[in-house]
Amino acid sequence: MNIKIELFGAARDFSKQNILELNVENNSSLRDIRAKMIEYIKKNFSNNENYIKIINSSAFSSKENIIISDNYKITNNEKIAIIPPIGGG
Amino acid sequence: MFQARILDSKIRKLIIKDAEKFISSSDFGASIIFSGTVRNSNNNKLVKGITYDTHDALVIKSFDEIYKEASEKLKILNKAVFIDHAKGFLDLGEISIIIAVACKHRDEAYILSRYIIEEIKKRSPIWKKEHYHNDESDWLKGNPLVHENN
Repeated sequence: MNIKIELFGAARDFSKQNILELNVENNSSLRDIRAKMIEYIKKNFSNNENYIKIINSSAFSSKENIIISDNYKITNNEKIAIIPPIGGG
Repeated sequence: MFQARILDSKIRKLIIKDAEKFISSSDFGASIIFSGTVRNSNNNKLVKGITYDTHDALVIKSFDEIYKEASEKLKILNKAVFIDHAKGFLDLGEISIIIAVACKHRDEAYILSRYIIEEIKKRSPIWKKEHYHNDESDWLKGNPLVHENN
């Protein structure tokens, strides 16, 4: 199935677009999505350690703007957002 | 009374007068207007501007939660709160955030103003990319999101 990850903050550097689209196994959880994103970074950014660190320390939110846990099951074509470590104001 | 907005710097700049107008009322005897601006250096680097990135819906949601908590946790019931935050590129000296509060007495106004900015720093999905004079730029590291329900 396909999922879309809206990129914010430092994660915007993962793609020239604002959204990263990934193909994942049906019934994937957020934990699986993190792993898939790390795989994507290893392949496209020669194992960039900073990017991998960002993925591991990020929260994610659902399309209803609720922070989701690693057990959250993603559905086909769902759009979630990556929330890297914050520091605004 | 509460108002919170994210303003795109290409469309509208943050203006202190908007805040003054919103919190102005004879119900309140104390008001504080806090503003954050872009400064010219950070971590020994010369900064020429900052790009602010925001998850608008989550930022507004966090501002709303912080406002409601002020009633429940701080027991400050009578108040006016105005929060504007910029997104997009800002030059040196431009305002990135305005937090204006008005309360009956000064003690609660100081507590409320400080509470709001500290909670925003911890909880609102806002990111800063600094632009330096050597034409490099960097996203600031930040802290993992602290969520009320965690």
